[in-house]
Amino acid sequence: MSLTFAGGNHRTVPIELREKLAFSSEQATQALARFQQQFPGSEAVLLSTCNRIELYAADGERGGPPPPDELAIFLAECRGVDPSHVGRALGGEQGTAAVKHLFCVAAGLDSMVLGEPQIVAQVKQAWQLAQQSGTTGPLTGELFQAALRAAKRVTNETVVGRERLSIPSIAVADFASGVFERFDDKRVLLIGAGKMAAETLRYLGDAGARNIRIINRSIERAHELAERLGAHTGNYNDLSHELIEADLVVSTTGATEPVVSLSLYQEIERQRQGRPLVILDLAVPRDFDSRIGGRPGVWLYSIDDLSQACDSNRRRRQKELPAALTIVEEETRRFMGELHHRSTVPVIEQLRAGWNETGEVELHRLFHKLPELDENSQQEIRQAFERYAAKMLHPPMVSLRSESKAGPPHRLLEALRRLFDLKE
Amino acid sequence: MADFISRISVVCFAASYGVALIFEASRLWFRSGVRGITMIGFVTAGLFAHSLYLIWRSTTLPSMPLSSAFDWYLLAAWLLAAGSLWMTLSNPRTPVGLFVLPIVLALIGAAELSSREPFPQSPATQIWGVIHGSFNLVMSVAIVLGGLAGGMWLIQAGRLARKQAPIQGFRMPSLEKLSIWSSRMTVIAATSGSFGFLSGIILNIVNQQRGLIGSVPWTDPVVLRMGALVAWLIVVAATARTMRQHAIGRRVTAVLSLVSFTMLTLSILWGVLGNTQHGLAPTQESAFLSAGLVEDAS
Repeated sequence: MSLTFAGGNHRTVPIELREKLAFSSEQATQALARFQQQFPGSEAVLLSTCNRIELYAADGERGGPPPPDELAIFLAECRGVDPSHVGRALGGEQGTAAVKHLFCVAAGLDSMVLGEPQIVAQVKQAWQLAQQSGTTGPLTGELFQAALRAAKRVTNETVVGRERLSIPSIAVADFASGVFERFDDKRVLLIGAGKMAAETLRYLGDAGARNIRIINRSIERAHELAERLGAHTGNYNDLSHELIEADLVVSTTGATEPVVSLSLYQEIERQRQGRPLVILDLAVPRDFDSRIGGRPGVWLYSIDDLSQACDSNRRRRQKELPAALTIVEEETRRFMGELHHRSTVPVIEQLRAGWNETGEVELHRLFHKLPELDENSQQEIRQAFERYAAKMLHPPMVSLRSESKAGPPHRLLEALRRLFDLKE
Repeated sequence: MADFISRISVVCFAASYGVALIFEASRLWFRSGVRGITMIGFVTAGLFAHSLYLIWRSTTLPSMPLSSAFDWYLLAAWLLAAGSLWMTLSNPRTPVGLFVLPIVLALIGAAELSSREPFPQSPATQIWGVIHGSFNLVMSVAIVLGGLAGGMWLIQAGRLARKQAPIQGFRMPSLEKLSIWSSRMTVIAATSGSFGFLSGIILNIVNQQRGLIGSVPWTDPVVLRMGALVAWLIVVAATARTMRQHAIGRRVTAVLSLVSFTMLTLSILWGVLGNTQHGLAPTQESAFLSAGLVEDAS
């Protein structure tokens, strides 16, 4: 009863090879079907994302699943890559190391961006695809459930997956949301129509922003973006008026000089009637004169300010890595303990069956000798026998469970077999 | 059951709030999946014991609620603890308890230092006494909540001005929300404070006209302090309204709310540690007169 995996990720496999080895979901289904033919009785789950290709295999019935190098060759052959080219790029692990690796992957600890949350969904999808392909079984079932549980614990108990790392998400969630409670009653002004603007607006839309106005020197691009995001367009020449009306400004123009100078802002300041203004200046060079940030009621954030917050979050994630790894270690130990304990089940069942059989024989003899016993009395005696058997079995079961935590309890099982004359 | 309730002491619920505060403060240092629910559990337990204690007091004393300075402080603490629980449940990521629970504990401490002697009352003035006490209670709670909102506004604004991401476990409500709380509490404090002061004047006039118990000279330090506080609260409410359309209006309201809170704290400290005729038991002579009046009235 063991587990193996073979594969590689962004650190071990060059992008050219990763592209060749990547599986679409259709190709993954075909590969799993081929796996079933090639390794009948083994369980398999194939995880293929932009940054990793990994094949997990388990076998509870035979001597064990295919070893990692065999799995690596299988992966290469499935994608029509010469196995000799795969070389050292695809590695692998067995047993506890394989389990720990999967737990790290699911928790985002092995990802390019530490703690990125998408990987959990990708692990889930891989598992579901294997289920549909009929290559899963009790071992991979428990393994992947335990992996998702480990990932959930890492998310809940550390900040590894919580701190935001993208500039638009930090701009909206950590800064704009610090000023405004809600966005559905706020007017958002987008100056320029850059890529980062669109992403920021997507976050603002998720936060509830509905009243969005886009102004751009090129009105066609503004229209295009407005149509895509369900926003309205305005006239670039009405910038002052738009600034008076806006509560939140996202600016991403390619202008070489500031679009809004301090004097322009001071001209319109009074007409804003004291309403707070959040400015997310994502342009380089900056679109807003930095002195505007010093005006009362103005919260101005440049791309540098937001990048610093990103770096600080990244450092915080990194700081939490040891705590996350401790959780992974705990969950791995727990899973391996349960896995080893599973190997003791046949012995325990044999032991229990033997005791029950002996008990039944003795009960039959007793009831035969005491025919005056009514049904209730017989039931009472039967229950007493069952309780006695359960209590006698309890200490060996506790010992087995305790031994299982350290590894497969082979010696204890052997001793039980010899003591109670149990079959292999 | 009655025996169980009678054994609940101030220490019981103060300890519950204290433990809840420690749990709340620990969020600054480490994360835990069970801390939130444990903290809520301790506040709820404290609030339950606190409620039972107040109910027990009201059934054993004839003139509850607000029959003594001790009960008044405990009731104010109860209101704030209940408010803290409600705010924690509705804003689980905000460390509300970290701000409110120390004040709850301080009020319980003030209660312990205050007199448990019931305020002098007669049937003619009891209703005015309750109105006076209730308005003052609402004013005090509103000042505390307004001050907390103001303080949080300044902390949050400082963080945003320094362009720092929120500290782990220390996510403040938005400036917009805090600003609304702060200005609403300012109005509530000014209104209830005015009515409290007016009802106090009426109470005193009734007492003076009848030459009765509990009459307080106009120059009593508490009367002067409360008068000044109410005047200040009216100025704050008016300023907050006037400044609403100024860019610095929200900051001004936050600062003024915090000043009101400081004034209230000093006023309470002065009341607890200083000497006053306000709310004291009757002298022997006035007690005699009171007894005569009660007989006359009956």
